[in-house]
Amino acid sequence: MVSLCKERLMKEAKTKSKNELLPGTLEMLILKTLSIESMHGYGIAQHIQMLSADVLTIEEGSLYPALQRMLVKGWVLAEWKISANNRRARFYRLTTAGKKQLGVEESRFSQMFGAIMRVMKTT
Amino acid sequence: MGSVLRRLLFLFQRNRLDRDLEEELRFHEEMKAHALADADGMSGDEARAAARRRIGNPLRLREQSHEPWTFPTVETFMRDMRHALRLMRRDPAFTFTALATLALGIGLNTAIFSVAYGVLWRPLPYSNPDQLVMISSAQQTEKGPRTFSTWAPVSYEGLRPRVAALEDLAAYNSIDVPLTGRGEPVQLHALEVSPNFFVTLGVEPVRGRPFLTGAAAPDDDRSAIVSDRLWRMSLKADPAIVGQSITIDGLPRTVVGVLPPDFSFRPVLPRLGALPETDLFLLNRWPGDTGRNAFLFLLGRMKPGVTQERAEAELTALVNDSSIVHAGGLATEGALAPNVRTLARVVGLQEYGTESVRTLLLILLGAVSFVLLIASVNVANLQMARLSARRGELSVRMALGAGRRRIVHQLLTEAIVLSLLGASLGVMLARIAIEITLPLVPQFALPRLGGIVIDARVMAFCLGLSVVSTLLIGLVPALRVSGAAFGEDLALHVGEAHTTADRRGERLRTLLVAAQFALTLVLLIGAGLLIHSFVRLTSVSRGPDGVVQTVRVTLPERLYDEPERIHEFARGMLDHIQYLPGVKSASLINSAPFGMMFIRDDFYIEGQPKPKIDAGRPKIGPGYFNTMGIPLLAGREFTARDTAEAPKVAIVSERIAREYFPGGPGEALGRRVRLSDRGEWLTVVGVVADIRQKGLDQEVQPMLYVPFQQERVEFFVLRFVSFVVRTDTPASVVEGIRAEIRRVAPNLPIESTVTMDEAVAASVAPPRFRMFLLVLFAITATLIATCGIYGLMAYSVTQRRREIGVRMALGAERRDVLQLVLTRALRIVLAGLIVGLAGAAGVTRVLQTFLFGVTPTDPIAFTMVTLLLMAVGLMAAWLPARRATRIDPCAALRAE
Repeated sequence: MVSLCKERLMKEAKTKSKNELLPGTLEMLILKTLSIESMHGYGIAQHIQMLSADVLTIEEGSLYPALQRMLVKGWVLAEWKISANNRRARFYRLTTAGKKQLGVEESRFSQMFGAIMRVMKTT
Repeated sequence: MGSVLRRLLFLFQRNRLDRDLEEELRFHEEMKAHALADADGMSGDEARAAARRRIGNPLRLREQSHEPWTFPTVETFMRDMRHALRLMRRDPAFTFTALATLALGIGLNTAIFSVAYGVLWRPLPYSNPDQLVMISSAQQTEKGPRTFSTWAPVSYEGLRPRVAALEDLAAYNSIDVPLTGRGEPVQLHALEVSPNFFVTLGVEPVRGRPFLTGAAAPDDDRSAIVSDRLWRMSLKADPAIVGQSITIDGLPRTVVGVLPPDFSFRPVLPRLGALPETDLFLLNRWPGDTGRNAFLFLLGRMKPGVTQERAEAELTALVNDSSIVHAGGLATEGALAPNVRTLARVVGLQEYGTESVRTLLLILLGAVSFVLLIASVNVANLQMARLSARRGELSVRMALGAGRRRIVHQLLTEAIVLSLLGASLGVMLARIAIEITLPLVPQFALPRLGGIVIDARVMAFCLGLSVVSTLLIGLVPALRVSGAAFGEDLALHVGEAHTTADRRGERLRTLLVAAQFALTLVLLIGAGLLIHSFVRLTSVSRGPDGVVQTVRVTLPERLYDEPERIHEFARGMLDHIQYLPGVKSASLINSAPFGMMFIRDDFYIEGQPKPKIDAGRPKIGPGYFNTMGIPLLAGREFTARDTAEAPKVAIVSERIAREYFPGGPGEALGRRVRLSDRGEWLTVVGVVADIRQKGLDQEVQPMLYVPFQQERVEFFVLRFVSFVVRTDTPASVVEGIRAEIRRVAPNLPIESTVTMDEAVAASVAPPRFRMFLLVLFAITATLIATCGIYGLMAYSVTQRRREIGVRMALGAERRDVLQLVLTRALRIVLAGLIVGLAGAAGVTRVLQTFLFGVTPTDPIAFTMVTLLLMAVGLMAAWLPARRATRIDPCAALRAE
């Protein structure tokens, strides 16, 4: 009884923790967004959601940890600026390493995408 | 790399990051609320609440945002460590026992290892020391294999240019010489060395130069190189010493070099031990010495890649080539049998002559690793007992989702913390132990004392030990936890003191405690054997009581080159000493008992075949036996009338008399003996009791005493004179003798002034030291094992409270309860002791060489020690047993 309970709980936790995006794509999307202009967290989420016509919604619970990861890796820099609506906001800016990383992620993604498409097209 | 740096920086900026993140999220929330208000027309508050709902748990978000900045394994480890430390603080009794046990175990191991490493394995302070070898020879003779350590100069000169396997072959001979003209004359430990000695060692003087090699340096023949110590002490650290002249043995020698401070060379005499540090090196080519006396030790440096076997084979071939090495040029004349193949022996300089020390140190290492094993078992046991008490905690953690890995991780961390703390305490303990015991180490017992320090290597060994103990302490309990059913098992029994669930753990613990007793018994029996042996050793009759003072001098060969001169010096001194105030009787001998010097050789008895035994042959003055207190069994002592002109006489010891004159001591009187097959016949005038001339731990030596004044043939051994005086005021007598020597021979240094009691103590110092160490280990082990059985029984009484309560409720008497607990303890102890006895019977054989008059299966030691350990074990179990009888059945049952 006890063990059954535990197993189910663990299974649930595992499925939940899986990202709905393909692994690694969130970082790529953020990098791409920031390559256009520096932006704050909310702006990044809005931008991706808008461009993907609401298909991709970025959860705060994924966005902010991802941004921290990228700060640690040195792909982005953060600085406090005044936003369009005159509020203090934390803007993220791409670094040279970040730009390089974007290239890496893009080519990896297109490779992966092509591979998936080839599999799917075979009848 | 950069990310690690940023993460490290984060450790100091945690607060700023938190503030940033908080503000950022507030901003996010507001923007979101704004958007919601715009889109859905919510009121401000509604919109904010909705936004907050969508964002989710801010605490969790913050934790997740922290995560990338941290080192997860380190953080987990730190957390586990903090937890472990907290647990240790909460249970000081456990912590103290565990740490003390581990510190003792690891400390003893570290101390012994540092000694063993320093003596046996630390590279010698010469360049490429593993290429350095000592060369000796051996022959199979009718008396068994005989090894000859030294070579004649002619043999050395024959070998040196011809050995292809060696890069260099140097020779040395250790001598004691007086240094005069620089304050009080001092006797120095010196080496006569061949010119290439330092080249062979690969050592350069720090001041001056090494000896010149090659024939083109004849003017170098009177040069000397001094040790840093001699330079500092006797030469006042004179910076301009190189080129100056010093007086050695009455002759001028030019100092050409001063050795580095860390240079050390202690010549090792096989079977005897290491001589003291050498302070003076005198160049010698032994020119024109074609004599057949062998006294040179050969030190070679093998060419790179050459094995000892190859060098040995090549040297053996050369040694047997009579055109190179003349028969008899190998060893002292007569000692070497002609026409017998001689084998060359090549032994690494480091191993040379350390066989007995090696055995001793390896035995000690084995013994202390037993102690550590016992200690670790104890801590593992405590840990297991605690684990049962912590079922509640662990079950809750597992129920909350901690995996087995996580729990094992936690337990191992606890073990690591314990072991490391124990190891650091252990190193401190080892430091203290070494500082206290090193001065107690008998002088000749350990060569290379300077190599004994706690350095990086020893620390690494200590760390290795703590890894071993960690594994023992951590893995045994951890394996129990990861046992298949444990998790569910735990979950079901949270907070219950169950009597059956723990059975498996209990069986394992019992086994471990029994094993402890087995190991402890082995150690204790070893100690018991050494104690018994030591008692036998010191209870042997050692002759005189009261104070016998000896004063030793060595007459320089150059001034005392004829027997008459030595006789005259001795006679003159004795005449004077006899009348010093406080002297009861005085005499002299050329090789005082328990001294380093002891010469033994063949002897002959008129009308009998050549005796199979060798005899010692000291030269003694009149009244020697009276002074020493050695009983005279028949006949008379030597007197002043036994002069060089009087009829030649001798005195034999009891051992010779018993063996060759079976009719009693009287039968020997009047018979004739001689010291060599062509020597003069000497009439036996007395028989004396046996003494242990070489030391109390040695066999009784057959002795053949000869009057000092009658010895002319072997007069070169007369130069070593020890005056012996029976007195009640040794200090003033020594002063009197010193003054007289200064008057008669102003440049003659006094080598030593010891009483016979001191000499006896020094001669039993090595066995006493061995006994001391093993007893120390055994006591430690016993203490630890006692803690072990006490812990086990105390825990089991606590566990079985209810059962005991029920028994008592059903009418069990206190006596029955006591019996219940004690029987169990006895069973465990007995099981351990039986295994231990079997083990000891197998193991104690390694002690054979250190036992004196006791067999390795000595029944006295075995029984006494076994009974003792049994008593100690039962005593330790008595306390918890008594506590069990005090259990109140009502309280015990109500507690359920």
